[in-house]
Amino acid sequence: MTDLTPRTALGATAARNETIGAYLIEENTELGLASVAIPAETIPPVLFGLTLPKPGHLTLEIDGKFAIWTAPNQWLFATDGDAHQDCAALVKSKIAMAYITEQTDAWVAFKVSSQTSGQINTLLERLVNLPETATDTGKATRTNIHHMSVFVLRPTSTQVTFLGPRTQAGSLWHVLETTLRQQRANSGALS
Amino acid sequence: MTRLSNGLIDRSSPLTFRFNGTRYQGYAGDTLASALLANGVQLVGRSFKYHRPRGIFSAGSEEPNALVTVGRDAQTEPNTRATMVELYDGLEAYSQNHVGPLSHDIMAINDLAAPFLSAGFYYKTFMWPKTFWEKLYEPMIRRAAGLGALSGLPDPASYDRGFLHPDLLIIGAGAAGLISALTAGRAGAHVVLADEDSRMGGRLLAEDGIIDGIPAIDWVKTTLDELRSLPNVRLMTRTTVFGAYDHGVYGAVERVSDHLAATNGQVRQTFWRFTAKRTILATGATERHIPFANNDRPGIMLAGAIRAYANRWGVSAQRKAHDRIAIFTNNDDGHRTADALSKKGLPVLAVIDARPDAKSLGHYQTFAGSYVSDTRGRKGVNTIEVTRDGQSQWLECGVLGVSGGWNPNVHLASHHRARPIWDNEKLCFLPSGAPVGMSIAGAARGQGTTTQALADGQHAATNALYELGLPVQSHPAPVANDEPSNVAPIWHMPSRKRAWVDFQNDVTVKDIKLSHQENMRAVEHLKRWTTLGMATDQGKTSNVTALAVMAELTSQTIPETGTTIFRPPYTPVSMAVLGGGDTGANFRPSRLTPTHEWAKSLGATFVEAGQWMRAQWYPRAGETHWRQSVDREAQAVRANVGICDVSTLGKIDVQGADAALFLDRIYSNTISTLKVGKTRYGLMLREDGQLYDDGTCACMAEGHYIVTTTTANAGAVFQRMEFARQCLWPELDVTLISTTDAWAQIAVAGPKSRQLLSRVVDEFDLSNTAFPFMSCTELTICNGLRARLFRISFSGELAYELAVPARYGAALMEYLMGKGADLGVTPYGTEALGVLRIEKGHATGNEITGQTTAAMLGLEKMVSTKKDSIGAIMSRRQGLASETRRLVGLVPIDTNDPVVAGSHLFTTTADQNLKNDQGWITSACYSPHINSAIGLAYLENGTDRFGEEIIAANPLEGQSIRLRVTSAHFIDPKGDRLRD
Repeated sequence: MTDLTPRTALGATAARNETIGAYLIEENTELGLASVAIPAETIPPVLFGLTLPKPGHLTLEIDGKFAIWTAPNQWLFATDGDAHQDCAALVKSKIAMAYITEQTDAWVAFKVSSQTSGQINTLLERLVNLPETATDTGKATRTNIHHMSVFVLRPTSTQVTFLGPRTQAGSLWHVLETTLRQQRANSGALS
Repeated sequence: MTRLSNGLIDRSSPLTFRFNGTRYQGYAGDTLASALLANGVQLVGRSFKYHRPRGIFSAGSEEPNALVTVGRDAQTEPNTRATMVELYDGLEAYSQNHVGPLSHDIMAINDLAAPFLSAGFYYKTFMWPKTFWEKLYEPMIRRAAGLGALSGLPDPASYDRGFLHPDLLIIGAGAAGLISALTAGRAGAHVVLADEDSRMGGRLLAEDGIIDGIPAIDWVKTTLDELRSLPNVRLMTRTTVFGAYDHGVYGAVERVSDHLAATNGQVRQTFWRFTAKRTILATGATERHIPFANNDRPGIMLAGAIRAYANRWGVSAQRKAHDRIAIFTNNDDGHRTADALSKKGLPVLAVIDARPDAKSLGHYQTFAGSYVSDTRGRKGVNTIEVTRDGQSQWLECGVLGVSGGWNPNVHLASHHRARPIWDNEKLCFLPSGAPVGMSIAGAARGQGTTTQALADGQHAATNALYELGLPVQSHPAPVANDEPSNVAPIWHMPSRKRAWVDFQNDVTVKDIKLSHQENMRAVEHLKRWTTLGMATDQGKTSNVTALAVMAELTSQTIPETGTTIFRPPYTPVSMAVLGGGDTGANFRPSRLTPTHEWAKSLGATFVEAGQWMRAQWYPRAGETHWRQSVDREAQAVRANVGICDVSTLGKIDVQGADAALFLDRIYSNTISTLKVGKTRYGLMLREDGQLYDDGTCACMAEGHYIVTTTTANAGAVFQRMEFARQCLWPELDVTLISTTDAWAQIAVAGPKSRQLLSRVVDEFDLSNTAFPFMSCTELTICNGLRARLFRISFSGELAYELAVPARYGAALMEYLMGKGADLGVTPYGTEALGVLRIEKGHATGNEITGQTTAAMLGLEKMVSTKKDSIGAIMSRRQGLASETRRLVGLVPIDTNDPVVAGSHLFTTTADQNLKNDQGWITSACYSPHINSAIGLAYLENGTDRFGEEIIAANPLEGQSIRLRVTSAHFIDPKGDRLRD
C-alpha cells in the first residue's frame, strides 16, 4: 500500500455526487482502464469473458468489466473497482498478442442516471450532436461536448456515462451540471 | 381602443404593459404590435436616417419599422420587432432612435436636410478634411448608426444548445408545413416541425377560410392534435430556422422564455443544430408594398397585416373607431382584406386598385384604375390623395393598407448561393437550386392559395418519404377555398416626392434613381450604395420592389437585374445564443494539472498555456514583486533542488513490432538504435523541412516507446503521427495512445535532486553509474506505487522527471516537499522554468516557430542522412540549407539595460532597416545567475560572432540597446552538471 493518497480528477479526496432534478450525477473514481490494440488482421481476443465489441458499441458488463470499441483493432477495457490496480498489467496477463496501455487516469468518468430513458435522451440532445441511434442502450460513441472529446456510453436506457479527459474534469462537470440544472428548470416550467 | 370581438387571444387573461412609460392593457396571445394597435398607438418609432415618424407595418418577422427596445438595464434588448414580441404581464418597451420624446424628435430636422442625405452620402460627404475622420466623422456616424443601444452590462440570461437528427425537418407550420408533417408523421418518419411563431398555423391563423368544410382554424387545431399524439413528431414553436448549412445541417434559435414575465431559471434561448436527412421548406410568402409619395406614415401598412390583426388578434389598426380604412392594391388579395374588414363592420373607405378592370369582391367601393399618389398626416396618415386618369382627390382615411403581391420566402433555399428564378406569370422569384435534400412546398414556391399549399405540402412529404424509404399512406389532400391573386406588374407610383422602398434604411425610389445615375446599377452595388436591404429585416419587404424599380430604370427585365446573395441568418440572432451559454472562465474548457489544487493552496499565480492553467510562480511572504519569486525559485534549482509539474508535456505511448521504424520516419534523427532503458532527444520536421517540434523518446521495452512533445504541440503532434500511421504507412504494425492525462510528471531538478529522489524510490539504485544521464525505467516509489523515472534535464542541472498515475500527482508533490525540506526543496513555476532553460540555451516554441531550421539551433547533424524521415529531403533544399542565422546568447553591455524579446538586431553602424536586419531576439529574461538580463537570438553567422557588440532595436518602444554576442549556453556550457 503506497504512502500516497490519491486525489480525484476534480482535485478532491472523495468522489463528487449530486442530485439535480430528476438526475443523479456521480463521479466514478474506481474505474480501471486500459487500451487494448491488436495487430491488423488478428482475431480479437475474448477478454475476461468479454467479446470485444464492434464499432459504436460497448459490451454488457461481466463482473464489473466491460469494453468499448475505440478504433479499428483497438478497444478500451474497463474494470470497475480496479482503479488502484495496474490495469495494463492485469490485461497483459490475459492476452499475449496485444499492445496494452494504462489509461485509468487518462479519463474521468461521470455517470448520469435518471428514472426514465426519455429523461436521458432529453439530456443527450442538449449535450451531443448525435442521432438517438448512436446513443441507444449498448452503444458507445466518441464525440464532442463543449469542445471536449468525450466517450458517451449507454449501458442501460436510464444511464449514461461520459468518459472525458481527466485534465478537463472540471470543465466537463461544469457543462453537465449546468445542463442538468437547465433541464430541471425546463421540466419545472413544463410541469 | 380598436379591439374587435373575435380573435385568437385569451380575453380571460388581461396583461398590463408599458410603452415609453405609458401603461396599456392587452391579452395573452397578443404581440406587442397587436396590443399597441389595440390601444390606438400608431406611432412607435423613428426612421433611421430622416427620423420620420413610423408605425407598425407588418404582422410578422419581416417588420421594417416597429423596432423597439424591450426590457431595462442588463435585460435591455434593442432593435426588437414589436410584431415578434409576445406580450407578457409587466413588459416594458421603448421606442428608439429619437432625441427628446418620440412625438417631438429633435433629430427630425434631418428630414429637412434630406436633399443632402441622399444615397451614398456617407461615401461622398466625409472625404475631407482627412484629419476629421477619426475624431469627428467616425464617432458621429457610429453614434447615429444602429438604432437602439445596448446596455453595456453583462447579459444575465442563460442560454443553451441542442442537437436533433430528424428524418424530416419541416420549416414553417402553415398549411403546407402542417400537411407535410401530418403525412410524414403518419408514415412513421421522425419529424421536426419548426415555426418562428408562438402558435402553429402560419397564415391560416390570419384567415377566415374553410378547409374540408370546417373553419381553417379548426382544421389547424385538429391537425395539431393529431400531430401531438404522434411520438415521432416534434413540434417546435418560437423556433426560427435561420440558416441552411452543408450536409443537411440547419441552425435554429428557440425563444424559450423571451415571452415569459419570469423565467424561473429557464434558459432564455436555445441554439439548435438540426441534422436532417430531408427538409421541406414551407416558409410561406411575404407581402410586398407599392411605393408612392409619402408612403411611410404611421397607419400605412401591408394590407395582409391589417387582415391578420383583425382575424387573429381581434384588432383594427385604426386609432379611432370611426377612422376610415382604405386599401391600395394591384391584386385580388387586397380586396380580400377589404372584404374581411367590411364583414366585421369596419368602415372601409374603398379599395384603390391600379388595375383598370378591377372589381369588388364584397360590399365596399372599388376605384379601379386608380392609385394613391400622396398622403398627409404628421404623426399618422389622415388623408390620402387618390388619382385616376390624371384627376386627383384628397380623401380622409386613418389606415391605408397596401398590397403589391406576395414574395415567396426563398431565403433558406438560397443560402447555398443559389439564385431564385423570376416567374413572369406569378410575378415573383421562385426558389431554384435548393440545398441537397431540401424541397420547397406551398407559398414558398409560389403555390400560394390554401388549396395549392395543402396539395403541395402533401406532395413534398410523399416524395421525402419515398426518398427516405418509408411507407407512404395515401390520404386525399384537404380541400380549401381557392383565392387566386391575379397580380398586375405595377411596382411603384411615379412621383417627384419621396416614395419609400426600404423603410428600415430610408431608401426611396429617388435614391435608386440616383444610384442608377451614379452608375451603381449592379444589384450588389445598388445595395451597398443605398444600404437597401440591410439591417434587421434584410429587405424582406423591399428587395424585390427595389429590383423592379432598378429594372425599369435600366430598361432591363427583373431577372436580368438579378438578386443579391442570400446569407444566414434569416432573422437576427443574438451572439449570446450562438456562444452556447458559457461566458468568462467557462467560455472554453480549461485543463488543470494533477497538482493544480496543491499549487493553488500554496498561493501560486497561474498562467494560461493553451487550455492549460499552469503555476507561473509561487510567491512567498515578503515577496512584493514577481521577479523576487522567480529569482528565488531559479536560484533554488541551481543551488539545491526544485520541483515542477511538467505533466502538460505531451506523452504518446508508441507500441508495435514496427514502432522503431515508425519513429525513425517521424523523427529526423535515428531512434531505432535506442537501447531499452534509454532516452534520446529528438527533432521532428515539417514536410517542408522546417523544424516542427522537439522532445524526448524513451525506450521502455522492446517495441515500446514513450514520446514526449512540447505542451503547445501535444495535440498536433499526436494527430500528425496518427495521420502518418493511418494514411502514410498503414502497413506498419504500430499503435499510438495519448497518455498525457494519465500520468502526473514532476521535474526534480538541481544538484540535490538525486538525494531527494533516493528518499522516494523503493530500493532503486540512482547512482550515476547505474542510472546515468538519459536513462529511463519503470520502478515503484513510496511503498509500491508504480512510476516511471527519466533522467533528463531542461534546466541544465542534474535532473529527473518522475511520472506517477495522475491521481497521485498532488500527493507526490506534498511527499517531495516533506522529504526534501532539509535539502531546501522549492516548487518552481513556468517563469523559473523559462529562466533556467534560457540560461542553458534550450529551445522552446519561441525558437521553434515554424520558420526555423535544425541548423539554426546548431542541430543540423540531427537530421540524419542515413535514413528518410518526414521533411528530411526538403530540409536540404537550397532555400533552407543556405540559412546562416544561428542561435546565440546576448547580454547587455550596460548590465542595467533590458533585453527585449522580439527586438531586431543590427550592426552598430548600420541603418536600422529591413535590408540590414541581422536577426531577432527569440527569448529574454533576467538571469539571477548572470546578474543581468540575457537573451537568445538568431543572428546571421551568429556562432562566428561571439564577443561582437550589436544593437537590439525595438522601434515600438524607441529602444536601441547595445548587446554583446555570446554562446547560447550561459550556464555550464560543457554540460557537466546534468551528467554528474
